[in-house]
Amino acid sequence: MRAVFLSFLLCCCATAFASPTDKELAAQPRWQALLHINPGATLRDRQRSYVDDEQFFLSEQGKDDALEELTASREALVAPGAEARCRFPARYRFLSEQLGWQDAAPFSHCAEYQEWRQAVTAKRAVLVFPAAYLNSPSSMFGHTLLRLDQGDDSAVWLSWAVNFGAVAMADDNSFFYIYRGLAGGYPGRFALVPYVQKIQEYSHMENRDMWEYTLDLDQQEMDWLIDHLWELKDINFDYYFFDENCSFRLLELMEVARPGSHLLDELRFAEVPVNTVRALDEGGFISERHYRPSKAVELDNLRSQLSGRQQTLARRLANDPALLDSEEFLASSEQDQALMVTVAYRFLRLKYRKEDRTDKVAADSFALLSAINRMPPVTVPETRDAQPPEGGHGTQMLAASGGQRDGNLDFGELSYRLTYHDLLDNPYGFLRGAQIEGIDLTLRSTESGDPKLEELGVVSIRSMAPRNRFIKPLSWYVEGGLERAWAERRRLVRYVQGGAGASWHWGNWQPYVLSSFRLENNSAFDRFVTAGAGLDAGMLYRRGDWQWQLGSVGHYFTNDVYRHTSTFAVQWAMTRQHGLRASVEREGWRGDGENEFKLQWRWYYD
Amino acid sequence: MKKTLIAAAMLGASTSAMAVAPGGPGCGWGNMLFEGQSGMPMHLLATIVNGTSGNATFGMTTGTNGCDTSGALSYSGSSLLGMTGVMEEVAQDMATGEGEALTALSVSMGIEASDRAHFNAVMHENFAAIFPHQDVTADEVMASITDVMKKDDSLSKYLA
Repeated sequence: MRAVFLSFLLCCCATAFASPTDKELAAQPRWQALLHINPGATLRDRQRSYVDDEQFFLSEQGKDDALEELTASREALVAPGAEARCRFPARYRFLSEQLGWQDAAPFSHCAEYQEWRQAVTAKRAVLVFPAAYLNSPSSMFGHTLLRLDQGDDSAVWLSWAVNFGAVAMADDNSFFYIYRGLAGGYPGRFALVPYVQKIQEYSHMENRDMWEYTLDLDQQEMDWLIDHLWELKDINFDYYFFDENCSFRLLELMEVARPGSHLLDELRFAEVPVNTVRALDEGGFISERHYRPSKAVELDNLRSQLSGRQQTLARRLANDPALLDSEEFLASSEQDQALMVTVAYRFLRLKYRKEDRTDKVAADSFALLSAINRMPPVTVPETRDAQPPEGGHGTQMLAASGGQRDGNLDFGELSYRLTYHDLLDNPYGFLRGAQIEGIDLTLRSTESGDPKLEELGVVSIRSMAPRNRFIKPLSWYVEGGLERAWAERRRLVRYVQGGAGASWHWGNWQPYVLSSFRLENNSAFDRFVTAGAGLDAGMLYRRGDWQWQLGSVGHYFTNDVYRHTSTFAVQWAMTRQHGLRASVEREGWRGDGENEFKLQWRWYYD
Repeated sequence: MKKTLIAAAMLGASTSAMAVAPGGPGCGWGNMLFEGQSGMPMHLLATIVNGTSGNATFGMTTGTNGCDTSGALSYSGSSLLGMTGVMEEVAQDMATGEGEALTALSVSMGIEASDRAHFNAVMHENFAAIFPHQDVTADEVMASITDVMKKDDSLSKYLA
């Protein structure tokens, strides 16, 4: 295919004076990219344009027919002073280059476009990956956007952010909003906003680390991209959470900048943002990587330089800047004093970042900031061992296991997980203490019978954010699906369960305690749905490539049934894509229980 | 002069010297981002679908969050400026003498790379004059920055 394309290109050069036919032009990768034609990346709209907006097409058949659209575009764009030139500068550029149109100032009549184009320039393009944010369904897997730097200096606060997302209006209520956002009820659009807004949003408000990847685009490629962006102003795409999302659309932009990059050739069912980073990395697009820690991480790095007593003092200082004159404070070295004030100030700003301004907080902040100004400079220590997300394990998983259950009952299992990560998987590159699983299927086969469904997890999300002197986040979890549980005998039950609580870090140890509520449907209980409440508690431990967990979860149901499961598990991350997990589990119920041992090999891919 | 206007806008200051209520009530130092939204915060709304809140922006809108950003803004356009959090970050960077917000400020004022370290140092030294109290407005901050620069031999040329 590539050879054919190459000879096609050579052909074009050899016959430079004979214009290519419309058919040849319409088949060119750049024209296909400019129209956002699906090369087979998703099942929806194959060989048709992804754009879902009449405004984008000059021909009525434009969405389905690249050739028709090309003919219509040629007619609309050829005349000097044509109105369509102001709407489609990239298309004009493509056709004028290919057909040898000569016009020294083709856009001189396009005041609005020229004004915009003057403001939106780029010397450097950067792919930005804000890390996962569990408190929002669409950000659990991270996000990607593009940054356009106007200079090659460090003034990124003056850069533009190109973001693709659903366009949402505030008048919908939140449930509707989430549903429609995920199910494709909102149109997706590109937006161009100052990058500083994105820093504020991610790094300041949501405490998300950001990874910034400088793209190896030359000036010409960036100009193609920006010209085409203008063509996408106020243009609606479909927005689908799983595949046609922020990341997918950025790959389309890359195809406009550098046609024939083959970023969209493979069929995919989901575009996970981290795979976009990988695709661009493998395609040779990424030249440099930069880590931007969130405000919370910076605070953590600063406070870890202080002793426990000094941290406590810094925490008090935030509430009472008068302590700046106390003997206790002045007893520390000048450098430590500066560190304490910096920690106190940053803590105060972080803590109240989402609240209305109050006189007390503003006055205290100002007093601390003025003190910082008078003290020796403090630099924020770099995050040790910051792990880039693209270095993490693959997003899908297959596993094979063997084990034994009470009564010498041997079994073998096959598991598949569509996505993404649990607390014992290799943590490299993932948000610590975060678990997101979607579609987790396990089939179990025993000597005595046919393979049976052991478990079908639909969704499982767990956020174990550790608390410390300064920040006190809530830990929570929610999960649901089908699993085997004891109800007179071991049977398949349907359930949803969730809870909230707290978690802490003590070195490599991470204990957690959460309340737990469960709704269950099974064929043994009298009621259709039975509710239960209980506790989910345990301890995580990590050391090198080893992850350990000792945990217990128990529920007492409204029909007087009591049930609990305790697990001790360890996983060894052999390589990035392979892990070995051993677990011992005890399932108990009123008066009895069963034990199970299991050894599992886990293979991550994609 | 144009550059100064842009910098003023970046701080959320009104660009008209005769403006009655400089900056507007939402522009004092130390305010929080996205304040004053009722119901489900727009911030949260936008996050849920990774989108933009309210009307889609395309680098052409001006003015958010109660700050007056009227006037032609052509550098990094528009709402950078209406953003209340920016002044706080500038203050923080001036107190310590460096940072991305301060760099952005100096670049937007047209200060050459060779003078930026000096600019940072001068701003650091004059922090107390530029930010005399927590209720200072963006206009007052911008006026003080201009005053300080006027008195400095190598920075005064950028005000011309």
